[in-house]
Amino acid sequence: MTAPSNNDQTNLLQGTLDMMILKSLALDQMHGLGISRRIEQITKGTFQVKPGSLFPALHRMEEEGWLVSSWGESESNRRAKYYRLTKAGRRQLESETERWGRISLAIARALEAS
Amino acid sequence: MPMLSRITSYLRNIFAREKADHDLDDEVRSCSDLLAQEKMREGVSPQQASRQAILELGGVEQVKEQVREARAGAWLDSLLQDLRYGARMLRKNPAFTAIAVLTLALGIGANTAIFTMMNGLMLHTLPVRAPGQLVELLHHYPGEPEPGFNGFSWDAYRIIRDGNHVFSDLFVGSANVFTVSADNLQPQTVFGGEVGGTFFEALGLQAAAGRLIGPEDVHMGDHAPVAVVSWSFWKSRFDLDPGIIGKEIVVGDAPVTIIGVAQRGFYGLSNEARQDIWMPISLGPSPGWGFGLLARLKPGVSLQQARVEMAVLFQTVVNAPEAGPFVRDMKLRIEPAGNGVTTPLSQMLSTPLKVLMATVGLLLLLACANLAGLLLARGVSRHHEMAVRVCLGAARSRLLRQMLTESLLLSLVGCALGIFLAYFAVHALIRVFASGRFIMGLPMHFEALTSADTRVLLFTGAIALFTGLLFGAAPAMSASKTAPASALQQAARTGESKSRQLFGKSLVASQVALSLVLVSSAGLFVEYLSHLRNRDLGFERNNLLLVTLDFAPSGYNVAQFSRLSQELVMRLDAIPGISSATFSDMSPMEGPGASTFAFAENHPEKRAQASINYVAPDYFETYGTPFLAGRDFSARDQAGSPVAIVNQAAARNCFGNENPIGGHITLSHTTLANGEETYEVVGVVEDAKYNDLQQPAPPTIYEDLLQQSFIGSQLAIRTRIDPGGAAGAVRQTEAAVLKTVPIVQIMTMNQQIDSSIVPQRLIATLSASFGALGALLAAIGLYGLLAYIVVGRTHEIGVRMALGATRSDIMRMVLRDVLWTVSAGLALGIPLVSWARRVITSLVFDLPTKSPISLVFGVAVMIALGFVAAYIPAHRAMRVDPMIALRHE
Repeated sequence: MTAPSNNDQTNLLQGTLDMMILKSLALDQMHGLGISRRIEQITKGTFQVKPGSLFPALHRMEEEGWLVSSWGESESNRRAKYYRLTKAGRRQLESETERWGRISLAIARALEAS
Repeated sequence: MPMLSRITSYLRNIFAREKADHDLDDEVRSCSDLLAQEKMREGVSPQQASRQAILELGGVEQVKEQVREARAGAWLDSLLQDLRYGARMLRKNPAFTAIAVLTLALGIGANTAIFTMMNGLMLHTLPVRAPGQLVELLHHYPGEPEPGFNGFSWDAYRIIRDGNHVFSDLFVGSANVFTVSADNLQPQTVFGGEVGGTFFEALGLQAAAGRLIGPEDVHMGDHAPVAVVSWSFWKSRFDLDPGIIGKEIVVGDAPVTIIGVAQRGFYGLSNEARQDIWMPISLGPSPGWGFGLLARLKPGVSLQQARVEMAVLFQTVVNAPEAGPFVRDMKLRIEPAGNGVTTPLSQMLSTPLKVLMATVGLLLLLACANLAGLLLARGVSRHHEMAVRVCLGAARSRLLRQMLTESLLLSLVGCALGIFLAYFAVHALIRVFASGRFIMGLPMHFEALTSADTRVLLFTGAIALFTGLLFGAAPAMSASKTAPASALQQAARTGESKSRQLFGKSLVASQVALSLVLVSSAGLFVEYLSHLRNRDLGFERNNLLLVTLDFAPSGYNVAQFSRLSQELVMRLDAIPGISSATFSDMSPMEGPGASTFAFAENHPEKRAQASINYVAPDYFETYGTPFLAGRDFSARDQAGSPVAIVNQAAARNCFGNENPIGGHITLSHTTLANGEETYEVVGVVEDAKYNDLQQPAPPTIYEDLLQQSFIGSQLAIRTRIDPGGAAGAVRQTEAAVLKTVPIVQIMTMNQQIDSSIVPQRLIATLSASFGALGALLAAIGLYGLLAYIVVGRTHEIGVRMALGATRSDIMRMVLRDVLWTVSAGLALGIPLVSWARRVITSLVFDLPTKSPISLVFGVAVMIALGFVAAYIPAHRAMRVDPMIALRHE
């Protein structure tokens, strides 16, 4: 599933994208491109988010107060903007994780029932 | 805290936008760099790497735009941007902007002006409890203006009060004029009311100070020792002095104590005049029908139910043995009074205002169509600009919003200017109304008409918004559908897509249709006015001077009047420019006068209502009303038995086919309780219009002024020269003979006629102006369309000419376009015109509906306009040089 490119889909999948971003930043701060690669990595290639579609989400989440950004140096000694989770962001990640857990359990049960 | 961080982001996005933008730019570019690096590590060449990086990113500017849109406060940001851009666009085209703003100002301003007056007169609710339940009772005679007059007898009041089941309250309130004075107050005329004991309570009003009139203040007898004043009276005359309670003032010539001040903002129930003082009525059997009745419907009772019950109950009133003979033809009417009671002003203006409101509404629609066409044409020249924006990542919805913002901006500016114009328009209109005749002897007050409350502002705002959206929609949608590729081509033809051209044509056709309605309606009203003015009146309207005298200060008795008036007539007759003069109680178009019921002595069953006028000898000669039989009053009649002269209508009603001369008629005066008098008929005159130009002449009975010992205040003078020139001599002679009798006014008969038809004149003038304006707009629209089409077809014209078409062929091509558009407009408009005519006829009776003149006139005007508008474009088309046109791509 590639990242959504128009508004309707964004709303549907916004929650999912947000959670992916939060999860990627759980352990370490990263810049935009890094987050995109990390999402691809931890979902084993299922989600491929274009960096361009990541930026609106990152900025929005920063305004929500879940992320905070700062300029730093990338591994190749180039300037890049790094994002990391805030306390509120961590709380959001926890609650989202729990919610998704409940949902997937429910769906699994529904599919098992005959 | 998400809230706090939201707010900071919001503020930062607005105030530190540049920095944030810079930041964003850096971030996106850095990502692009990193991507490119990644690719280079995989072995791609540097240029390929950076190109691929940008592709994978999705384009730097596009990404930045997406981020901007996701930001908090983005909508405000883009709104401000749109506004700034729109303002700049408008400034770049001052001519277009000026025309658009002016058109809008006229359209919106006209609507606001008429609505303000409608609001003040008919729409705003009184500041009382539950105004929706308030009703007033009226009685109506056949032939009187609708809906009737609010005045009832004591018996009627009692019967209605005791016998109804539909009213939770029935209370008395009449309007009157008082002369008020106090030790610190000059004698002044104050408009006020006489009210029953439950008036204030039933209306749910509180006192601002002291107490209000209650049942304990109402009594039998003449003097009303207490009074309540209005809040503004308290403020303006007494400076809100708390000592007003208990203050003694003089009303008329009786001392009265002020016991309270009414709720602030309450000025009585009439929209026409503000009442400033209220006194308790003397409630008890009294002659005449002077009690004004108001009522509150019980909850759950509808107006229709009340009407049905009252119709039955009123029969009891009408059939009571002590009721006078004229009562039997009375009908009871109940009208809602929550918006104010019926007044002469509302009777005069409610229909004209409705007609005008429809007219200016149409005009505004026309203006919208016109502006839409203008904007569409301009939109084509902005294709390039739109295409570039789409390429830079603008969403189509953003383009739409931008265009709509521009339209709304135009609308806003037009609205502001329109409000300004409306203010002056309303005051000018009021001055015209004020030139109309006084009704019931009371000068009219127009404050109500100029009040601009919130409803008016909301209305204006709403139509400005609606207008902006209406004319902006089409251009905005067309702009947002720009296909960038074709628009960016240098060789883009200005030839339009078929559908867009058709839309432009249909816009112009609709303008022609609306304009047709406006122009032919105007033609109808003007025709009607001239019809009114030129009909046979039963008397000679030219060279007739009317003088109104005021005998009150002189204190003359009847004998003195008789002698002096005859002397004055003799002296006036002697003046060379004057051929005759006479006195009377009423002049024809002054207003309604006395009326009575009359029957011939041997035909009592043929009782009919008739108007009465008291006239001196030579009345009919002066006015130019011919005698059909018999003779005029003479000096000999003064000592003899009562005589009367009747007009044709009265003769027909009372005597049928018999000769009335020598017969006797009996009159029961409406003003006297029981008085009946018998007169010998000595003459029959032709019917003459009286009080109302639209109604046929009523049966009229003329009594001898001098014989009846009546002091007549109307002096009429037939002149051989222009009446205005004789006025000076008349004044001198009058002053010489009647030294203590001031002249209230002098006017010519034509002026008096004009003053009685002010609403009709106004509708005719205004609708003619609006019609002209509408025609102008349609002509401009036509011209614009044709000019645009010709430019678009320049290439085609070049080809045609190269292939052998002559100039006249080209001209015919252009004219064909004109005729098609105009015909389409006419086809649309003619059914509209006949519909409009039906609506107008239902509002204004007596219209010459059969005459097709106004429609033919309208069609002719539209066709003529078409040719005028086509002249320049056709000329330009003919002058096209094929060589240049063929190269013009």
